Amino acid sequence: MWSFILRRLLYNIPVYLGILLLVMGLLRVRNPVYAYLGKNADEKQIAQLEESFGLNDPFIVQYGRFIWRGLRLDFGESWKYQGTTVREKLLASIPPSLSITVPALILTSLISITVGLFSSYYRGRWIDRLLVIAAVLGMSISFLVYIIFGQFVGAFLPKQAGWFLQPFEISGYKPWYSIDTFDLLGLTIPYPTGFSPMTWVSFCMLPVLISVIVSMGYDTRFYRAVMVEESNRDYIVTARAKGATKRKIMFVHMLKNAMIPIITRIMTTLPFLITGSILLEIFFGIPGMGRTLITAITDMDYPMIQGFTAVIAFLYILSIILTDVLYALVDPRVRLS
Amino acid sequence: MTGRLLRSRGVRKFRRNRLAMAALGVIALYFVTAIVLFFGGISMDATKERVAPKHMPGFFQTPDLDERLAFAMHFINEADVASRLASSRGQHPHEILQEKALAERRPVRLEIEQYDLLLDEAFTILEEELDLVENLQDHPELEPRVERMEEIAETIFPAPTGWEGGVYWLRTFLGSDAAGQSISVRAVYSIKVAFQIGLITSVVSVLIGSLLGAAAAFFGGWVDHLITWVFSTLSSIPYLVLLSVLIVVFFGTVFDDPERPFLSLVPVYVAFCSTFWIGPCRVIRGETMKIKELEYVQAATAIGFGRFYILLRHIIPNTAHLMFINFSLLFIGAIKSEVILSFLGLGVKGQASWGIMIRDAKDEVASYFFWQIGAATFLMFVLVLAFNIFTDALQDAFDPKHVD
Repeated sequence: MWSFILRRLLYNIPVYLGILLLVMGLLRVRNPVYAYLGKNADEKQIAQLEESFGLNDPFIVQYGRFIWRGLRLDFGESWKYQGTTVREKLLASIPPSLSITVPALILTSLISITVGLFSSYYRGRWIDRLLVIAAVLGMSISFLVYIIFGQFVGAFLPKQAGWFLQPFEISGYKPWYSIDTFDLLGLTIPYPTGFSPMTWVSFCMLPVLISVIVSMGYDTRFYRAVMVEESNRDYIVTARAKGATKRKIMFVHMLKNAMIPIITRIMTTLPFLITGSILLEIFFGIPGMGRTLITAITDMDYPMIQGFTAVIAFLYILSIILTDVLYALVDPRVRLS
Repeated sequence: MTGRLLRSRGVRKFRRNRLAMAALGVIALYFVTAIVLFFGGISMDATKERVAPKHMPGFFQTPDLDERLAFAMHFINEADVASRLASSRGQHPHEILQEKALAERRPVRLEIEQYDLLLDEAFTILEEELDLVENLQDHPELEPRVERMEEIAETIFPAPTGWEGGVYWLRTFLGSDAAGQSISVRAVYSIKVAFQIGLITSVVSVLIGSLLGAAAAFFGGWVDHLITWVFSTLSSIPYLVLLSVLIVVFFGTVFDDPERPFLSLVPVYVAFCSTFWIGPCRVIRGETMKIKELEYVQAATAIGFGRFYILLRHIIPNTAHLMFINFSLLFIGAIKSEVILSFLGLGVKGQASWGIMIRDAKDEVASYFFWQIGAATFLMFVLVLAFNIFTDALQDAFDPKHVD
């Protein structure tokens, strides 16, 4: 087992180095400093930024330096926000992303697994057909339209009509937790000190609901297909033959075996927990990873783009390795070689 | 070859699926429209032409009194400005008004005194009656006065009749956007943009993906390692991040010029193709692994065919069903991603597209104007739905063991 984990880690090192090479290369196709400062920049400013970004060195030196500093999470200083390091920005933008994506993932998975199970239990009956049709219809509408109408129905209409309940806000995000930091071996580590659930409801609940509705179509279809596939297997016939009730087969035999694809599905969405939903963050003004990255891209803030991409890709690869390992743990049939 | 394909079990199964055949019909209809548009059915100028006052609602929504007054005032104000300008320049107002025509709704040539009379009347009504109340909705007794204003507007800018009237109705029956452009024309024109992006990216991605995938599995060794490394690298960068970084590369070049809408789509093609080929590559690599162990490939090797020949003649044709399914999946992906990229300001530039329309409509929703977002969403919904049904049916018919 340990050698399997080690092999997966070693295999992914060249992949990660490749990503860094690709991103750094792409970002240097045009001179970053000119792109950031525009056409009318003065010589001194250009020289200063080029120096600070290390553009005067050969690419391979820049590459090596970026990796070496990256190991200590040191990605330099943002160009746009002078005096703020990329690391501070990074640490500040993770919690807002997580406070939307984690509840959204949990809710989506619970609901769509239940609906998928339900749908496959009544396979071929009208209720199943209705659910399948609803899923396909839901998948055919753009994410943007869900957000626009979600904001309209969830926040705008209640305000306009002066309803008794106006629970959701669509702008002016405030954190629902208070954070303090302590130093550990030179790293500043944040930890939460207090929570206010009502603030979460007003700023994060609506994006979570929209995200659940959008993913429902895809997930329900997938889980239904998994259950249907599982219900055609021999062990189900055996269980039926020995006299187990249909209900028991569904929840005890099938669900247990369907766990493998379910876990894989959930694990593959883990990296998006950190990236956050760029669109939701933009529409609701939530200062998460996705929105910060897109703002950095439109500002041409190269140190930010580089640092964020490196960290996101790293977490992405980590979750892929984790999936493989978990897979091997849950299903002994997976060959470890 | 074609005959054999049409009689195959998969195609017969597909053709028995009535829903899928209907979906295919819908896709064909869109495709024909896209071809007609491509050969100039609707010019790009037509999508940018002013056809009505701004935010005119579509055909079944009756505008309220305030809106009706606003629409009438649009024409009256144009006439007012024109007549002032004309008297200072010593021209006839009609010469100036002619340029203010809204598509087929053109001004008629009246006598100069007539303009003065009509405008005087209109502004008297406005100042002495209509401007005195805050909200016309609460004063239904003023409706005849608003109607009179509409008549004045109608005298100066008569609504077109006959053939032109029909064309004008087609242009305005879904209303107009904030710049007075026709929503129906823009929504239909977007079909062309959607097909351009969808077809080019999915054809190129499927071709690259399946060639590389088949080669990786068939040749094995370092070829396989290299190709697997490339796609695992690319797929480890979150999709939107890679797209945005690629588009940053094109910022400020010839490919980022709204004046050249065709060139400005190139970054979108490159960005989509560089991520979309991974899906078909994975699937076809897996399938080729299976196929290359089959007897007919061994037989072909035994006869003495070259490896490239076997790959192109025996292996890739047998993955054609997977190529089709992936093509259709990528088409949906391209259309949906176009909308999101255009919203972020990274996608289509300088021409209409569903993404641009939805972006423009974002703020209209708050003032209860749903025509633009409705038209774009509806046309896109029908196409994507048809493709979803089509893909499902393809999968059922040709790849029944597949889960999702």
